[in-house]
Amino acid sequence: MFAQFFGAFLLNNKLVSPDTLAQAIDDKKNTRMRLGVLAINAGLMTAEQVEHVNVAQQSVDKRFGDLCVDLGYLTEADVDRLLSEQPTDYLLLGQTLVNNGSLTNAEFEAAISSYKDQYQLSDDDITNNQNDKLSAIVKDFFHFNTAENARIYTDYVTLLFKSFIRFIGDDFTPIESTVVNEAEAQYLVCQKIHGKYTAELAIGCAKDEYIAFAERFAKEELTDEVDEYVNEIVGEFLNVNNGLFVVNESNQSGIELSLDPQNYIHDGKVRFEHQAFCIPVAFAFGEVEFYISVT
Amino acid sequence: MEFKDIKILLCDDSMFARKKLRMFLSSLGVVNISEAADGEEAVTKYKEVQPDLVFMDIVMPKLTGIEALKAIKEFDASAKVVMASSVGTQSHLKQAIVLGAYDFVQKPIDDAQVEKIIRNAMK
Repeated sequence: MFAQFFGAFLLNNKLVSPDTLAQAIDDKKNTRMRLGVLAINAGLMTAEQVEHVNVAQQSVDKRFGDLCVDLGYLTEADVDRLLSEQPTDYLLLGQTLVNNGSLTNAEFEAAISSYKDQYQLSDDDITNNQNDKLSAIVKDFFHFNTAENARIYTDYVTLLFKSFIRFIGDDFTPIESTVVNEAEAQYLVCQKIHGKYTAELAIGCAKDEYIAFAERFAKEELTDEVDEYVNEIVGEFLNVNNGLFVVNESNQSGIELSLDPQNYIHDGKVRFEHQAFCIPVAFAFGEVEFYISVT
Repeated sequence: MEFKDIKILLCDDSMFARKKLRMFLSSLGVVNISEAADGEEAVTKYKEVQPDLVFMDIVMPKLTGIEALKAIKEFDASAKVVMASSVGTQSHLKQAIVLGAYDFVQKPIDDAQVEKIIRNAMK
């Protein structure tokens, strides 16, 4: 999930365009990490030093790592360690953007440093997918700290993004949230959680995105039209995610909640009892909006 | 008993959820599969088919899965009803255990867990 928010960070800071980012997300599965980017990320080399080695490599028949050792930038142990580590997803995204010329090594170095500073992230946090850090990013990114039920919004949306990665795919970028009173879309699925508090949840999007989302979750090809079956698939995603949230609340906070059956709305709107956060998410197949209102 | 002999009833208001489970059961070699789309139909179908094992969702219209479990156990105290739900909270688990549920499966359903439950039920 750090990769998706790193993508959003690059977008919000206008370091890449939405099209460039979408292409890089698609391309990153074929990207091989290079030692220079790994060394910059680890703070062992500056972008300037990496550029220096790149230039030196043009006139010397030596591998990048060997030259770094010769020039005193890295030890052999550094090279071995960097090359043996599994690259994290956000680094693959960064490497892809450097490879296709969207970012220079210096821009990558500055971006990665700002991203880590902004969310006080260490490499260990990212490698180990630290849950509290993910929650902190979600809370900050969507400005949930301004909301009355900040903890619930944060926990729900953190779980929602994990569910995207688990069930839909990791090729998405979160977009800044807005506060709304109602949701309006070509297709909407809504579900209420109630008990100690009430949460109104909804997924809304246009037809093509609705079908594409359903296809990803069902792992099957569907017709070009939205029928009861397509509705039920999207509804089941919401139901499964909400169910996991309700179980977490029961196990971790001792809060017992219930779910209502889902409602399906075509070409309509749903008005929330109180204000809701609208959270747009740009998937490779298009934009899907998620709504959450907790009272 | 073998997979081809066991009678299973799937109760879920989601056609998609029923289809996914049916496909998995078919892949195991289960052929006697019935379906119900709400709690009321689950009770009616149980009485009609008298299955060896039931997979029951909890959040369903007309009767909830918990209410349907209660009605089925009143009709047949030896019924094996597995609660298969997205809402596996402590209170739901407690209710289901008190009412005599055979087992509990959290959605999204893990195929290996389902297979293990069926194998146990067939013993």
